[in-house]
Amino acid sequence: MKNRLKVLRAERDWTQADLAGQLDVTRQTVNAIEKGKYDPSLPLAFKIAEVFEMPIEQIFFPAQDDE
Amino acid sequence: MNTSNETSSLDRSIRQSNYRLFLATAAWVASTALLTFGPAMWQYHVPTTLLAIAINLLAGAMMLLAFFRLLKSMDELQRQTHLEAMALAFGVTLIFTVIYGSLPTVQLLADTQPTNILFVMGISYILSVIGLWLGRTSE
Repeated sequence: MKNRLKVLRAERDWTQADLAGQLDVTRQTVNAIEKGKYDPSLPLAFKIAEVFEMPIEQIFFPAQDDE
Repeated sequence: MNTSNETSSLDRSIRQSNYRLFLATAAWVASTALLTFGPAMWQYHVPTTLLAIAINLLAGAMMLLAFFRLLKSMDELQRQTHLEAMALAFGVTLIFTVIYGSLPTVQLLADTQPTNILFVMGISYILSVIGLWLGRTSE
């Protein structure tokens, strides 16, 4: 799964630690999600969508090898 | 945006759970020592030994509970890393136990020590946690 987390975070001028604090996860988890090394759970993905005030499908989308 | 406080609340929660696990583990180690060395001190009095076993079981249950609380206090990537490391450690321990257990039968070893199996389990768990965590979070 791919995501636009890094771009969206940069647009808001947030650090990984800022976002991690809002999501109640570690900074390393935000880093792993941004790098595509970890796919978040559905509850965390919805929380991310809530923080960015965007629909979930505008943040996460399937990679070609997911389909 | 009060992000640093939010982050530290997760850290604080993990730290508290770690401390509880440390206390529960210390109690379990102490009760295990009591069970191992105590019977000789009370001349193998059976009811007292049974009491020591009950205390050891209770301390073990408290340690398990503390570990589950620690897992629940982690964030989801940390939790997944630990659970995967446990699965790996289980597999490594299973394979090691089968080979190690057969060594006396094939006369390559005179005797086996169960503590060696615990050692392999612990080391494989720690190495798995480190490897999985670094693999996912390296910059």
